[in-house]
Amino acid sequence: MSVPRLEAFLARIYVDAEARERFLSNPNAEASGAGLSTDEIEALKQIDHVGLELLADSLARKRQATDKRRSLKRSSEIDH
Amino acid sequence: MAVEVNHTKVPVDMFGLGWRPQLALGILSNLERIDVVEVIADEFFNARRSERRALRTLAAQVPVTLHGVSLGLASSVKVDKSRLERTARLCEEVRPLSWSEHLAFVRGGGVEIGHLAAPPRCDETIEGTLNNLSLARTIVGVLPQLENVATLIDPPLSRYDEASWISEIISGSKSDLLLDLHNLHANAVNFGFDPVEFISQIPSGRVRAIHLAGGRLVGRGNVHRILDDHLHDVPDPVYALLEEVGARTDPGLTVILERDGHFPSIESLLGQLDLAREALGRGRARRAITSRREVAA
Repeated sequence: MSVPRLEAFLARIYVDAEARERFLSNPNAEASGAGLSTDEIEALKQIDHVGLELLADSLARKRQATDKRRSLKRSSEIDH
Repeated sequence: MAVEVNHTKVPVDMFGLGWRPQLALGILSNLERIDVVEVIADEFFNARRSERRALRTLAAQVPVTLHGVSLGLASSVKVDKSRLERTARLCEEVRPLSWSEHLAFVRGGGVEIGHLAAPPRCDETIEGTLNNLSLARTIVGVLPQLENVATLIDPPLSRYDEASWISEIISGSKSDLLLDLHNLHANAVNFGFDPVEFISQIPSGRVRAIHLAGGRLVGRGNVHRILDDHLHDVPDPVYALLEEVGARTDPGLTVILERDGHFPSIESLLGQLDLAREALGRGRARRAITSRREVAA
């Protein structure tokens, strides 16, 4: 198992809605394109779909909140 | 006859809050009820000189712990050395009681996830985490306490359950554990395991710190999971787990209540700390009774 490749793949489908959509509609193509092995792809087909959607939503909200906080901080630094 | 004084410091449990700018006034006005404050280390990596001075002033008033959120230690990929160096500089400056990080991966293949993600629980991530901890110790000088993370997804390609995976890392390193009880509660509900059994499976003697927080239910269709959002009060099952920890560990725990938004009054947060003191106290009382019975037997 190539875990660095797997971690990279997971990171992408967790944050990139288009990559996630491509993976869910055609897991073989998306995962083999990322260099994952047949065994890894078969295991990924069993991915917890609800968990993936909920996680992706949650991460998107966290990123929005972080961006907003950083933007407010930058504004406050300019004011000072 | 001279009285012999035992100068050995007796470990005591400490209770405190996560430092957030919105809570600053409330915390500083109530230091007699707050033993310790946990500061997010990453917030100060690029801080202005005045902000770092303020942090040193805070640390002079109340014991501080540093908490990292972006190292991504639990990964098969090597941790970024420059982030560790920044952690080391901050530790040097603030002299915290301890520093901690999550058992999470936060990036992969150049993609920043932007939050903590549970890695596949397998031999490769155990080995990667141990290597990263070794580097952390070399650069920072002290190992971090390691925190279990909440997850909405069962990490794909996992070969260990969470308790076994954490136990392997704790046993293979000299790091202690920061046990987040809301994360444990959330994962137990989300994936259907017994959180008390989890506590009995991990090396409880290595639990040195506790996080408490709240969350909410999220769902799709008829599937619901707990999201650890730090926006709600600590729910009762988390206090019950704190009692269980108290029944299994020795004094000397640092218990931190985390709140990241929808801030209630400081009195409400201090009230939750009081409930935590009571819960841990109940556990300690159970432990004392068990010990007395064992001695009597």
